[in-house]
Amino acid sequence: MNRDPNREIAIFTEALRVPPERREAFLKYMCNGDEPLRLKVEALLKAHDRAGNFLEEPPTESAE
Amino acid sequence: MKHLATPFSAAAGPRRASAGIAKIEVEGGAPPDSLRAFPHGNETMSDATVMLAAIEAGDTKAAGDLLVLVYDELRRLAACKLAHESPGQTLQPTALVHEAWLRLTGNENRTFKDREHFFRASAEAMRRILIDRARRKQAKRHGGDCRRVDFECCDVAAPAADDQLLAVNEALDRLALEHPVQAEVVKLRYFAGLTNEEAAEVMGVSVSTAKNYWAFSRAWLLHEIESTNH
Repeated sequence: MNRDPNREIAIFTEALRVPPERREAFLKYMCNGDEPLRLKVEALLKAHDRAGNFLEEPPTESAE
Repeated sequence: MKHLATPFSAAAGPRRASAGIAKIEVEGGAPPDSLRAFPHGNETMSDATVMLAAIEAGDTKAAGDLLVLVYDELRRLAACKLAHESPGQTLQPTALVHEAWLRLTGNENRTFKDREHFFRASAEAMRRILIDRARRKQAKRHGGDCRRVDFECCDVAAPAADDQLLAVNEALDRLALEHPVQAEVVKLRYFAGLTNEEAAEVMGVSVSTAKNYWAFSRAWLLHEIESTNH
């Protein structure tokens, strides 16, 4: 499916500013029937919520 | 000797820049003074400075040369530091990259474009160095080098960290196919250790955009890695 990759990012970014309890409705509205897009962004938001410190600590070079 | 693909097998061959990097190949000890500082306006210019100028002038080969130069310098710095650390000690890529910047470009009075080219090259070089090391250590754990020094197999630090690094690296390649700009933020922040502000400057976007891209990329990579593992 040819989807504008920027749309995924834009909706994800906007959704982060929406209170969690209103995200579902927000996604439905923004994705406007594009179910694969809605599912993808929803999965990304869940990943974001549990990402914690993921990648925030730099990889380290350690002595072998 | 078991031949491993060099980190540059897919890009510029290391031989290409051998003439250009000859003078920085000084193992151990202090670097020659000629490498320490290149005052702004001085006619003596470092290889890095020449390459940065060439890249700016549109010379695409120079970008590959710079990558090789930065890669060698980062490896040399890392080896030098690790030689003086006790086992288990770690090095911060951020510190390495900033030290390489000072050593290769001489001072901080560089143009904005120089910083951009340098940090992009550093992010890619650091990524290759870390991945190469993680793969080597993983191969060792799987029995590759056990005959030589049995001890080493038991003493390889943080296998979980290496596994995560390799998983992130693979997922990052997939992210780059779908969202190349956002993948670049990850390279700059995670591998070169730049801050959001520095990454924004290098990429020519606002700080808030860089933060948004970072949030998106972290979520995307985590989701991708978890989906792959299940």
